[in-house]
Amino acid sequence: MIPVEHYVALSAILFTIGGVGFLVRRNVIVALMSIEVMLNAVNVALVAFNRLPTHNNAHTGQVFAFFIIAVAAASVAVGLAIVLSLFRIRRTVRSDEADLLKN
Amino acid sequence: MIGTYLPMFLMIAVAIILALLFFTGATFLGGKLDKTPEKMKPFECGSESSGGNHLKLSVKFYLTAILFVVFDIEAVFIYPWAVQFKNLGWIGLASMFGFLAVVVVALVYVVKKGALEWEN
Amino acid sequence: MALAFILSPLLVIGAGALLLMLAEAFGPKHNRTAGLALGCTIVFGAGFAFSVGAWLYGVEDVAEKELIVPWLVIDRFSIFFDGLLCLGGAIAALLAGGYLREHEMERGEFYSLLLFSTVGAMMVASAGDALIVFLGLETMSLGAYALTAFRRTSPRSAEGALKYFLLGSFAAALLLYGFALLYGATGHTDLAGIGEAVRAGGPHKTMIIVALVLVLTGLVFKVSAVPFHMWAPDAYEGAPTPATTYMAAVVKAGAFAMLLRVMLTCFTEKGLMSWSAGWPPVLAWIAVLTMTVANLVAGQQESVKRMLAYSSIAHAGYLLVGVVAAARSMPEATSSVLFYLLTYTVSTAGAFGALILCGRKGAEAVTYEDLAGIGRRHPAAALAFSLFLVSLAGIPPTAGFFGKWFVFRAAMDSGFYLLTIIAFVNSVIGAYYYLRVLVFMYMREPAAGAPVATPMKSGYVAAALILSAVLVLILGIVPSQSLDVAIKAASIFGPPGG
Repeated sequence: MIPVEHYVALSAILFTIGGVGFLVRRNVIVALMSIEVMLNAVNVALVAFNRLPTHNNAHTGQVFAFFIIAVAAASVAVGLAIVLSLFRIRRTVRSDEADLLKN
Repeated sequence: MIGTYLPMFLMIAVAIILALLFFTGATFLGGKLDKTPEKMKPFECGSESSGGNHLKLSVKFYLTAILFVVFDIEAVFIYPWAVQFKNLGWIGLASMFGFLAVVVVALVYVVKKGALEWEN
Repeated sequence: MALAFILSPLLVIGAGALLLMLAEAFGPKHNRTAGLALGCTIVFGAGFAFSVGAWLYGVEDVAEKELIVPWLVIDRFSIFFDGLLCLGGAIAALLAGGYLREHEMERGEFYSLLLFSTVGAMMVASAGDALIVFLGLETMSLGAYALTAFRRTSPRSAEGALKYFLLGSFAAALLLYGFALLYGATGHTDLAGIGEAVRAGGPHKTMIIVALVLVLTGLVFKVSAVPFHMWAPDAYEGAPTPATTYMAAVVKAGAFAMLLRVMLTCFTEKGLMSWSAGWPPVLAWIAVLTMTVANLVAGQQESVKRMLAYSSIAHAGYLLVGVVAAARSMPEATSSVLFYLLTYTVSTAGAFGALILCGRKGAEAVTYEDLAGIGRRHPAAALAFSLFLVSLAGIPPTAGFFGKWFVFRAAMDSGFYLLTIIAFVNSVIGAYYYLRVLVFMYMREPAAGAPVATPMKSGYVAAALILSAVLVLILGIVPSQSLDVAIKAASIFGPPGG
């Protein structure tokens, strides 16, 4: 049995990688992927917590993870559509080149 | 502690050893490689490779793929329901039908809007 | 049956969205979108009517609602928001009916997206479980992202949508990780269960605090408060104006419903609510920052649309003052936040609507200069615009005055004198840039050679403006009835620490 703490540590590391990736990288596609990494970190945490003996085995965490996967797919569909439409107009996927809107 | 991870470490070790074995084996047993341009080309099933590495894909691929992913993942919710079918009873059945009705409406919309038409 | 009735606002909007989507796909090829704006408004109207019906019917005695607990919690609070969100949606739909046709981008998806997004907002308002909070939030946001990107040929629209999407998804991920940690610490995903377990205390104090930070950051992102507001002006400016109206009114109300529900249900433990080590002081700082920064930046804008975007951020700041007060004296201050949301929704929707009215195809009114001289040539349009701006500035006898009055009084009653003074000073600063629009409309002439803006002619826009104007005046002259409704809606939150 691998203790739950290890999974939670893994998920925290994944979440940090995703968060730092999102904040540091300027490529929109990479930013999208970073968000996916963060969501997967959440999934790992939920599924791991689900195995805690105190959580009386109700599968809440697992079902939650299902919903996150489904919603993530939908949001990526919308996100990629937005990136495509920006790319069609501006020919760039770099977020620092999207700079028309400023005060 | 170590015991639980032991099979994993064994697996990694075996994989590394096998990979090394094949590489060294190939160097010793195989002939010398003379680097003609022909040989350094990427191998595409024997036919001439054509086009650059930045292949332009039609947006249609993207549209179909993303629609596939979205509808595919909706199916995830049917599995747990099917496993618990008897316990959930009529309320479960009604909820699942409601869910499926929404998915079907979405599918009808997608078809009617022509998002799945490959030609034009 | 009674269950179906108290759920009816949600069901009506959901079914209406599906029907409208099919109608748009199967309708006649030519002039396909003709009736959609009207249909969408009718669906929103029906949703509003059913909310009123459910409110009058009463939700306290419906035993069947145990069936959907803890996923959906239908109470006075959620029914109040159902009505408010439908109202905001209806105004946005009416404005879209005029705007999209005038600017020749009328495609039927807009109306289905409006409805779907509102379903999400209503889910958020009645969510009793972290899962439903997340589902509703994403449904609401995905619709809003798509609406922002609706102007397909405009790089600004795509750019605003991209920023909105990226930061919105990032915020959702933070919020979710917070919920995951709460689940780990308490074993619950239902908000009431989390709240109980947090109050009971336990070995996982640190985890709960980390979760609190993550959840609060995610929520503050969503209500577009400083320092997490960067996406808002860009998204608001890039989006077609009816979509901006929708975001400023409905999405913001949904976000505040989420903030109130999550914070006042999950984190009511004495220590977490205390002024020395809890979340209220953090929120108070955010409120001060939000009001000050947004008001200062709004004053420097040359674009009226962007100014209104910053104004909507500033209003988020005033609302947060109410939320901070709610942490100390729950139902009283919460009711002032709800009432403020009501007044803010009609005022801001009206202001954006008036901005729409002042533009034509190819000559959308954007800057202050565009509005110069409109007061003399088109008094009706200028009068409507003035009314909404006066209301946003909080000058009687308009809705905005009582909104601010009740929030400030609640903050005073809870003992936040300094916070109230800062908020008051800010609303005085805010009056400057609202009145500047009036100066341009009534006292300036357009530059030589530049034409005076001519308002568009559209029954839809006129209807939306009349509706909001009537509500602004009603709320500004006889607020007591709507305030009673807000007080009743807020009464579901018990006294703090209880």
